[in-house]
Formats: sequence, C-alpha cells, structure tokens
Amino acid sequence: MSEDPYAVLGVKPQATQDEIRTAYRALAKKLHPDLNPGDKRAEERFKQVSAAYDILGDADKRARFDRGEIDASGNERPRERYYRDFHGPDAEQHAYSDASGYADFMDEDILKDLFGRAGRGEGRFRMRGQDALYRLPVEFLEAVNGATKRITLPDGGTLDVVLPAGTRDKQVLRLRGKGGAGLGGGPPGDALVEIEVAPHKIFTRQGDDIHVELPISLPEAVLGAKLDVPTPSGPVRMTVPKGANTGRVLRLRGKGVPRGDKSSGDEYVTLKIVLPEQLDPEIEEFAQRWQAGKDHDPRRHLEG
Amino acid sequence: MIRIEEFLIRARLERHSLEAWVAAGWLVPPQTEPELMFSDIDLARAQLIRDLRDDLGVNDEGVSVILHLLDQMHGLRRTMRDLVDEMRASGPKTGG
Repeated sequence: MSEDPYAVLGVKPQATQDEIRTAYRALAKKLHPDLNPGDKRAEERFKQVSAAYDILGDADKRARFDRGEIDASGNERPRERYYRDFHGPDAEQHAYSDASGYADFMDEDILKDLFGRAGRGEGRFRMRGQDALYRLPVEFLEAVNGATKRITLPDGGTLDVVLPAGTRDKQVLRLRGKGGAGLGGGPPGDALVEIEVAPHKIFTRQGDDIHVELPISLPEAVLGAKLDVPTPSGPVRMTVPKGANTGRVLRLRGKGVPRGDKSSGDEYVTLKIVLPEQLDPEIEEFAQRWQAGKDHDPRRHLEG
Repeated sequence: MIRIEEFLIRARLERHSLEAWVAAGWLVPPQTEPELMFSDIDLARAQLIRDLRDDLGVNDEGVSVILHLLDQMHGLRRTMRDLVDEMRASGPKTGG
C-alpha cells in the first residue's frame, strides 16, 4: 500500500491531528467491514484507510513519515478475523445468532411455504434448543492438574471441553450453545458435561487436599531421612524427622489441588513403617536382647 | 477455546473492560462454569466492539444498538442465503 496517506484520508498535509481523526472516523464508519458484511471492496478501502491512519493518527509517526523516515506501506495493522467472517454460508449457530429479523414475514403463506421447505421454518414457533447431557470420565490427575478433553458426539461431531485445574468429581461444566438446535430460529441449548473422576492408585482427595501413604523403612524411621514424595505435580523432597512413627502425618503446604484463586490445598503424607519381607538375623538378634523395647507396651491405651 | 488471560492479550483489552462487556451482554462466552472460556467469534466480536468505541467514537448505548442490529442483519442475510439456495435447488434447470 504505497498511496499517500493524506490522499487516502482526504486531508491536507497541514491538517491538525483533530482534523485527521475526524476524517478517519467519517471514513471508518462508512467502510468498516463489520458494518458492510456484503461488500468486499469496503474491506480493501478500510485497510487503506486504517493503514493511513496508523501513520497519520500518531503525531510521532506522522512526523517520521513527513521526514521520510518511514514509508506509507510500513504499518499495515494485521487483523485476525472480522466478526462478519463468522456469519458466512457455513457458519454454525452460536450465541449471537438472531433470526428475528423476518419473524413477521412468517405470516405470509408463500414465505412460510418456502421456509418450510428450506428446513428451518417451524412457522412462528420459536423455541430454545434442549440442553444436551454428557458424561465425561477423566483420570484423577487430569482433574487435579487440568486438561483439554474431546467428546465424540452421537452424530459423529466433537466437543472440546476445557477441564480447569481442580475439577471435582460429579462437577458439571456448562458449554453454552452446544446443545440441541433451536426451533424456528430459537437459540440452541447448552451442553452440560458431568465429570467423572477415576480413583488414583496412591492419591486420594478430600476437598482441596491430597492424601498419600508413604512406606518407609525401619532405619529411615529411626534415623530420619530426606525422601522423594509423589505429589500430583511431581515428586517433592521431604524431611522425615528422626523417630517418625507409623501413622504420623506430615504436611506439604500448597502441594494439593489448585483452587480458582491461584492458591492450592495441601498434601498430607501418612508414614507407614514397612519391615523387609525376609527378616534379617541381625535384627532378630537385636530384638531378642533389646530390653527397653520389650518393656514398651504399645497397647496400653486399648484397655476398655 | 481461549482462556481469559490469552483473550485479554489477543483482544488488547483490560480485564475490567472485558468483565463489563460480559455483564452488559455484549459478549456471551460459551463456557462460564467454573471459569470463563472464549471462542474465536468472541474474539472477533470484542475487536469489533473495540473498533466501535475507540476508533469510531460510538458510546456504550450506541454499541448495544449496533450489535443488536448487526446480529439481526446477519440473521437476515442467512435467511436470504438459504432462500436463494432453496430457490436455486427447486427452480427449473437451465441450459442443456
């Protein structure tokens, strides 16, 4: 686009910034592609006008252009897609679809006939589509950490569901406009997706907290240790204190389930002392002669 | 689907503007629970709203009117297109 931006906007080179803005607005109101959905030439003209305004609308850029530092083609603004592009012949129904513009014409027999044959004329009867219910099984960690899932619909179509981190079992996600089609131009219903979270081998979840049982060896329990503990977001190094017992619960703050407000629940690690499968003669011999151990009664609190 | 953070960047919007636009019904995000998710059409519509307000000097009342009329116009265009297609399909064959 190498046309003189002053000529494109129809202003004099000595025009004030206000005059330039006024000229741009007047042209943009006429040429904006979304205000001219049927006119392809409007888009070309609008691009030229926008490019010209990108340069002249900014006093600094305009000065650089006037000094010849940038040319008229340097600054075309890229635009992803215009709103009108979502209303083409193959466009799906969406939340903004509005078919009320010809509603009164439905009284005319000839149009009723035509629309009837076109397959979308349920007369003046307008009804919102039904909500569609789906059930979506997901893995435990997908629910905790978040994931994107795709549902295949009975008609072969698909539905993308974004599972936010921290999704609970039986939680229902609502996807607006993804349900059954409306009748007579009514809006489509919603898709309601109930999430079914599968249990995990080692983790259980209570609210936003994660619970896990951590087996430890006898020496680790007696002497203390630094151990890698599994969490939903990967292993975390944790200190087991000296003399830690079975049933002792340690907390890993913030290693539980993410909440919507960027905080997270905690992970609770329950220790469990596990003896080796094959008992070592050395430990057997030690237990035989360990008098203090024999004097200790772990069941003293059980007496009714 | 577009998360809200990415949507704000791509639409060049402040969060409070986006929240106001959703509250005004100008934008209807396809997923609202448990967090807002947007589609490509929401992005294009947000850019249109921004053009209307920032570049074309339309005030908030004007934006509501324009969006409503534009959506109706797209509905009209769609109906007309269906009608033309239908007439073409059922009309007399031309040529050979």
